[in-house]
Amino acid sequence: MRSGCSLIPKTAFKRYFEGMEIKRGTYPLARRGLNFRLADDLNFKNSACRFYLRGGNGFGKTSFLEKIIIPALKEDKVPYIYIGQDIRTQLYTLRALLSVQGIKVSDNDEVELLKLWIKKSRSATVFILDEFDKYFPDYGFIFDWSNAFIRTYIIVTHLGEGRSDALSAKYQTCNVRFDLTDFDGHIKNISVKKE
Amino acid sequence: MAIYDLDAILNRYGDGFLILEFNHLFISSSIREEVWLLQRRADSVLVENIMREAEEFSIYDVKPDKDFDTYSGGQKAILACLLMLALIRSQKIHGLKLLLNNVLDSLSDDNRLKLFGKFKEMRSSHEIRLFTDTKDRIQEIF
Repeated sequence: MRSGCSLIPKTAFKRYFEGMEIKRGTYPLARRGLNFRLADDLNFKNSACRFYLRGGNGFGKTSFLEKIIIPALKEDKVPYIYIGQDIRTQLYTLRALLSVQGIKVSDNDEVELLKLWIKKSRSATVFILDEFDKYFPDYGFIFDWSNAFIRTYIIVTHLGEGRSDALSAKYQTCNVRFDLTDFDGHIKNISVKKE
Repeated sequence: MAIYDLDAILNRYGDGFLILEFNHLFISSSIREEVWLLQRRADSVLVENIMREAEEFSIYDVKPDKDFDTYSGGQKAILACLLMLALIRSQKIHGLKLLLNNVLDSLSDDNRLKLFGKFKEMRSSHEIRLFTDTKDRIQEIF
């Protein structure tokens, strides 16, 4: 639903992003007071995978999504679905979007609204969920509705991996850890690495 | 089914609880303003106390006038809890029932434990009871 606007120069994109792969390297986001040191390549294109982004509060997981990953998806013209932390604004937007498309949505049933939107987004191959589990600790229904067309899930969470089921066999799990290395009074250096 | 229904939460629990809700953590844009509005006066000591406590949660870049929108979701949740606890202390409020709605799930494990520690201190000194929401009911943490 939402998308970020990258602070990384265009030329840097060419260097860092090859296909749906984010190369290991340094990704500065000075305006957000963050400097990411990505220790491993993040490959979103090869196999079906669920990436779990974990780490302390304020270590830039959402910024990494909005300023690094989503611009990379856009650069590669990869359709994606994004449910951000502020579900309230998104539900308003979603309702308006579907209404404009002539789809009647009941006033109350927001889960049905979400299901409709996902079903209409079958061109997407990447699904991003930022702390959606705070609204539904068991959000397996999201996978049920979307695993026919989604190859990669990128999930920011402070909780567990969700249910373990047949999908676990279909999707590899990749945990990506965000840790604070140091803070110089202005910029937080954040180490990002696969576990 | 509603994913997010603030009216339902308020209708169900508004009379008996002080509710801290993730999507409505503040009524203003900075800590200084929030303290001013809630106490109806400036209180730089209270603001400094909140900032100092925030550092315990690795929120190093907290400033009195820093816009809440520049903090991460989890940092905002922590700041709202610290603000609430600071006000309970300064106003000498006792016997309050606090309901955290979609707040604890936004915190990393270590920060959640630290926050529980803060609440536990207040439980004994201010007889505070802490609750959190699950999907259809609330649960007392302690």
